[in-house]
Amino acid sequence: MTTTTTTSDRRSAPSGTAAALRANRRRRAGRSLVVTCALTATVTALFVLTMMVGSFRIGATEVIASVLHLSDNPSVDFVVRGLRLPTAAAALTVGLALGASGTIFQQLLRNPLASPDFVGITSGAGLAAVTGIVLLQAGGLVVSGLALGGAVAAALAMYLLAWRDGVSGYRFILIGIGVAVFFEGLIGYVLSRAQLFEARQAMHWLIGSVGQASTTELWVLTAALVVLLPVATLLQRPLSALALGDDAARMLGVRAELSRAGLLGTAVVLVALAVSVAGPIAFVALVAGPIANRLLGPAAQGVLPAALVGAALLLTADLVAVHLLPTPLPTGVVTGAVGAPYLLWLLATTNRQGAGG
Amino acid sequence: MTRLRAEGLSLGYDDRTIVDHLDVAVLDGKVTAIVGANACGKSTLLRGLARLLAPRDGAVFLDDKPLADLRKVDVAKVLGLLPQTPVAPDGITVADLVARGRYPHQGWFRRWSNDDHDAVARALDATGTADLIDRPIRELSGGQRQRVWVAMALAQDTDLLLLDEPTTYLDINHQVELLRLLRKLNAESGKTIVIVMHDLNLACRYCDHLIAMSGGAIVAEGAPVDVVTGDLVEQVFGLSCLVVPDPIAGTPMVVPA
Repeated sequence: MTTTTTTSDRRSAPSGTAAALRANRRRRAGRSLVVTCALTATVTALFVLTMMVGSFRIGATEVIASVLHLSDNPSVDFVVRGLRLPTAAAALTVGLALGASGTIFQQLLRNPLASPDFVGITSGAGLAAVTGIVLLQAGGLVVSGLALGGAVAAALAMYLLAWRDGVSGYRFILIGIGVAVFFEGLIGYVLSRAQLFEARQAMHWLIGSVGQASTTELWVLTAALVVLLPVATLLQRPLSALALGDDAARMLGVRAELSRAGLLGTAVVLVALAVSVAGPIAFVALVAGPIANRLLGPAAQGVLPAALVGAALLLTADLVAVHLLPTPLPTGVVTGAVGAPYLLWLLATTNRQGAGG
Repeated sequence: MTRLRAEGLSLGYDDRTIVDHLDVAVLDGKVTAIVGANACGKSTLLRGLARLLAPRDGAVFLDDKPLADLRKVDVAKVLGLLPQTPVAPDGITVADLVARGRYPHQGWFRRWSNDDHDAVARALDATGTADLIDRPIRELSGGQRQRVWVAMALAQDTDLLLLDEPTTYLDINHQVELLRLLRKLNAESGKTIVIVMHDLNLACRYCDHLIAMSGGAIVAEGAPVDVVTGDLVEQVFGLSCLVVPDPIAGTPMVVPA
């Protein structure tokens, strides 16, 4: 600090502090750029790798040429475009959607446990889908549509139940957990009424897998991402103000309810579409945000980096599930096995810091 | 002269009315303290003045325009408030937190300008927190943390600053330090400051103007020397006491009888 502060130098800020701030901001912006670029490169590499490996190995250049319609080799095109591209694209888009949606929920509700898996949105989708499979013998697009409807309905129900002169983070989480438990109970009931074949189908859907996506579902999710990822990046600004608490945010000129509704809407649509494409893949939405935060530095909270982390995680999980394990497994089994220890660690440390609320 | 005033203002939560048809004018360029017993409506009044609470009846006026008619972001350039319990996101550093005070001055696409850097630097220097910029808020002491929050409110660069019980969780040394800081800001920049606080003696010592509230109404208002009497303290706090001059500043000092 300068030695004396007089009225005259109040307007012209002492250059030392301003320079330190500039350096600080440059450093953080630089780190954020490097992290985002590195994540993009990783996701692209994993995306291509997913299409290279399998019983029929294909080189990277051939894969890229085939995906971009630059080459004309019927056998390669059949394997890449016909068989592997849908799965790879599903892992990519579902991962992006889950990562973005998870971090928005966590920041908005100011709680690292507040991912859509835990607050009842995924289980709403699960209940609708399982009901469709068991009671209506539905399959494919109908199940996806039901899951989408279930997720949106669950989110709306929670928003209305949690509303009391606005929606506060803590009440939303508690009501979300209650709603999740309620839906899980109903899922159990529906499953207990099912025939063996349908029960197996329903269980398979409930574990979640990127290999079950149809082209139409993929296009819908891709279109949603193209629109909603930029929207989420723009809404990052009010989101970082809302993270200071509602009163502080409103005093900064944020239209708190409107911004929150917009952010929740974006996150719910993304997670609902992701679940309708791949089923409720566990833990990706929970861990993507915190991992991105580790990479970016404290409280940097970028939606795009979190989305990229989600995609990288899901592509890796799919590679492990399909190629590294002796028998191919649904993707959700792998993410669940990796995610559960993280959840335990999170619960243990959150409790110790007393930062759960 | 008064830029912020309320006319016939009624405020409440759910079906309870807490502040009932109250008229108040905040004196420009002064430090005002709102005092009163617990649950007398002083924080509610502050929240009403800052449009965090919508009026049941009556209105708050900023520069003679009803607060409800103004754009939120325009109000935020003139009127700031430090809430009683603000939330610091996990792991956030001082520089990042104080910088968030610039929100109303930035747009969707225009983010960081030299003005922003200068305002944040001024706020950090004024509060003596410039050497903490890389530290996480979590690691700071209570007094340092409160100064950082004040720095964030200063970075917002508003002419009026309301503070809701900023001294409540501080020890006596840090209470005095914070009040001196607010006095200094008032003296140097002519900022209008309104503080809700509990300690009557400190309020008398460091504020120009006192508003004493009881049961949602204003019972006395004026310079501390003029309004603080044994009768008033008895009426507002239900405490029988002696009021003597502070041996250093000569302002009223309350001693329980």
